[in-house]
Amino acid sequence: MGKKRKHEEASKALKEEEVAQERPKRTLLGWKDGEAPKEDNSPTFRNKEKVLVTCSRRINYRYRHLMVNIVSLLPHCKKESKIESRASKGSTLNELVEFWNCSGCLFFECRKQKDLYLWMVKSPGGPSVKFLVNAVHTMEELKLTGNHLKGSRPILTFSSNFDNEPRWKLVKEIIMQIFGTPKDHRKAKPFHDHVYVFSIVDDHIWFRNYQILVPHNETNKVDRGGLDKMSLVEVGPRFCLNTIKIFGGTFGGPTLYENPYYVSPNQIRAMAKRKKAGKYTKKLKAKMRRKLHEEANPLEPDEFADLWKEEE
Amino acid sequence: MVALRGQDSALAEEELLNDYVDDVEESETESDEEVLLSEPAKNYINNKEALLEKLGDIAWPEHVKWIDKLTIDHNPEQEIDANDDLIRESAFYTQALVGTRQAFEKLQSMGVPFLRPPDYYAEMVKSDSHMLKVKSKLLVEKKKIEEAEERKKAREAKKLAKEVQVQKTKERAKRKKDEIDSVKKWRKQRQQSGFSKDNDDEMNLPLDDGDEGFNKSKKRRTGVAPGDRSGGFVRRGEKNKKRDRRESKFGHGGRKGMKKQNTADSTNDFRAFNKNKFSRNKRGMKK
Repeated sequence: MGKKRKHEEASKALKEEEVAQERPKRTLLGWKDGEAPKEDNSPTFRNKEKVLVTCSRRINYRYRHLMVNIVSLLPHCKKESKIESRASKGSTLNELVEFWNCSGCLFFECRKQKDLYLWMVKSPGGPSVKFLVNAVHTMEELKLTGNHLKGSRPILTFSSNFDNEPRWKLVKEIIMQIFGTPKDHRKAKPFHDHVYVFSIVDDHIWFRNYQILVPHNETNKVDRGGLDKMSLVEVGPRFCLNTIKIFGGTFGGPTLYENPYYVSPNQIRAMAKRKKAGKYTKKLKAKMRRKLHEEANPLEPDEFADLWKEEE
Repeated sequence: MVALRGQDSALAEEELLNDYVDDVEESETESDEEVLLSEPAKNYINNKEALLEKLGDIAWPEHVKWIDKLTIDHNPEQEIDANDDLIRESAFYTQALVGTRQAFEKLQSMGVPFLRPPDYYAEMVKSDSHMLKVKSKLLVEKKKIEEAEERKKAREAKKLAKEVQVQKTKERAKRKKDEIDSVKKWRKQRQQSGFSKDNDDEMNLPLDDGDEGFNKSKKRRTGVAPGDRSGGFVRRGEKNKKRDRRESKFGHGGRKGMKKQNTADSTNDFRAFNKNKFSRNKRGMKK
């Protein structure tokens, strides 16, 4: 709260100073002598991102834990209870986003308790992306041994192939706004001790979260040569996103991009079953074919068939 | 294979067999919205202008400083194969490492405090109890590795020790033989030369290394107990004196043929029976 007030005072003080530059203005933290030096004259940008995080009903335990992990990673999020019906989920979610005054939304939709779809939405009127989530490892796994401050701002690293195509550029911007913690958020801690990796491999976006271990004695300087001794420990969670569609509106709207390589997991399961189903009919067909073939090509009479016949 | 390569790798962990997916190419395709495509160019929307337009809509203004965004781009040198776990994970690791180095350099040049001081205690994203579990698991693994290594070393050492022992026994036998031979030779010499030689001078040669032979084993040979038939070479545990006594008397495995010893007299022998020991409360307990 203090910071907000200070900003307001500062801007107010500046405006008044433009009018009458007589006496120093009193601000919350002391007297102001003279004009506050400003580096750029454009309006200050304040990151006021707020993300709504929800899931659908009948979500799997693993995906629920993933959602809880994400909630703990983003201090600028608001967690909502489960969304009921799928038919009107778009409108329900839009209402919720507006109600909580959020600028973005992460919606975890779980179908058949097996497939997890993640919607990343920018509100209002912003684009939305639907992903299929694979390869989920949550933070609770004991092999992921790292730990970091809750609410500390992450360093986001993207692989450079995000700049290759417009769809990736859009996704990169959305990710940066949703996953990056705002600088002056009241729950944000001041130190940077973890790093996110978003990397495009094989047309999927892979996410990793590492804790940074670097030898240091002071808060604003790494030890000499410490940058070379830096090591990373994985904190988790881990997941892999497969783009399905990019829409122009929130949770729907005109399709801006459709992934041609995407096959829904339902279809894959259906195909697998269908293949198994044909086994018996294939076998019958093969038998019939063999029979016809044998009838069509009768064997020559065997010369030695009578060889072992018993002599009367 | 082309159409589904992405899906293959991603869903392999979801218990789907790749074989089924391969066969799909030959079978008939669905006529749904998501068409199984062998050529990607067909039926796919990529509205680049609209995408860029939307990007312009949502993007933050140009003048936003890096400290608000904290993004680093990294160029992976090689094509990463998604199926090879080790390469993939090491690629992500290098991306993170290089990215953080750049970020830290920038932060350091800004003079902003960005490293956590050792006395800064705040809530961490994983609870302390969870970290304890992690620690115990790591310790267990470490112990397993160490034990395996020790076992290996012990095996090697045993092999070596065995060889050394064999050599030593051979040497000892040889030396013994030599000594005996030398004594025999000396006796023969003496016999031949008719017992008229000087005593001390001739005897020197073969027995010079005899002292060495007597003092050879530096091992502490503790006094062997008179009842110990094993000759003092068996190592005892400290506690089991009774077992030791029996073993030294009867050898390992106990006395032969003394397992069942009751006779009619011994069963009727009540000298050892203490009638006060058994409580009276159990008198009524009959099944």
